[in-house]
Amino acid sequence: MWWEKKSGPDPGQRPHPLSAPAARPESWAEPLEPTPRVSDMPNTIQNQTLLGQSMVLHGELTGKEDLLIEGQLDGTISLPDHCVTVGSHGEVKAEIHARQISVLGTVNGNLTAREKIEIRKTGQVVGDLVAAAIAIEDGAYLKGSIDIQREQNQAAARSASLPPAVKASA
Amino acid sequence: MSLTVGPQGPTKTTRTGLNSAAASPALEWLWKYLQDTPHPEILDCGPVFQATVDVFLRRGAKVHVADLVTPLLKGEERFWNRSGKVPVFRVAEFLAQFPAVLPASLTVIFGWHVLDLLPREAHSQVVGRWLSCLQPGGVLFCLLREPYLPKGADTFWWLAGLRSLACAREGSRPFPYPAITNRDTERLAPPGSVKTFLTRTGRREVLTIIQP
Repeated sequence: MWWEKKSGPDPGQRPHPLSAPAARPESWAEPLEPTPRVSDMPNTIQNQTLLGQSMVLHGELTGKEDLLIEGQLDGTISLPDHCVTVGSHGEVKAEIHARQISVLGTVNGNLTAREKIEIRKTGQVVGDLVAAAIAIEDGAYLKGSIDIQREQNQAAARSASLPPAVKASA
Repeated sequence: MSLTVGPQGPTKTTRTGLNSAAASPALEWLWKYLQDTPHPEILDCGPVFQATVDVFLRRGAKVHVADLVTPLLKGEERFWNRSGKVPVFRVAEFLAQFPAVLPASLTVIFGWHVLDLLPREAHSQVVGRWLSCLQPGGVLFCLLREPYLPKGADTFWWLAGLRSLACAREGSRPFPYPAITNRDTERLAPPGSVKTFLTRTGRREVLTIIQP
């Protein structure tokens, strides 16, 4: 049965933008981790490459460093093991694939993150979000879909695609 | 009067009888109706509230988001053609705010109080677009103000839980258009598909069900 517990937490609490969700009903068949607070997110402002405000880039961007975008970028971004932050001045028209994605500026394109996507209140995203966890601050603008893909699901999918010998040794 | 909610929960009642959160008979009905649907596909047409998104995600839903309320409350000029003597609402421009959703693909659409903020001439096209996105058996959820409620157009609503609604504030802005009657809603939707739930909040909760 898809029911929440009647004796659950106070439903009237104003949802602070970064507040954790209410306790999860035990009866839900597919328990999910609560969406993380934005404040819980690791600081991604350190040790990253900066695309400055006056920079305009067209094309495909790949690499092995974290990236902070304060300029304009049009194309694709693929940093599967690193963090991408679109700063408050950043304007991105691109599909972004990264480990974590934070948006404080404007993004037009689909976002895929292996771990987390966060959209701050100044962030504007037109595109579909796919991640293991998503945090959207109240006041943010989003037009698109939200799809949660848990790591265990991804791992199961990877395992299913392995040949039997590899599975046995894993 | 602003609504403040303490740790003990919403107990304060406003002039209009609004509580900051309240059990929703329509949501009660809705989730019971969808109890065998493990992964509903939901379109939320209200402002993005993390609380609402969390409720949907923990329900196992795939969520689409397109805020239709905020642009209406802002009175964005792009929705109006003021070249003539009488301003004309640009319905096509408004419909362009909808996300790219396949026809007949959604399980539930949360329209919130969009219809109270829209000019009458736009209702049929907007509701028609919503209904075209719903799969057979799909449900459109709307809040409609009662005629006696003159103010509160700028209230934001979100889901405090699967079966409870909350509002950000009582709201002080008067509603721009006359209240929509139950007869109006029946004109907008196929016969026999509308369920109206009366509440003490000054709003009716209206479900429109696409017959399977």
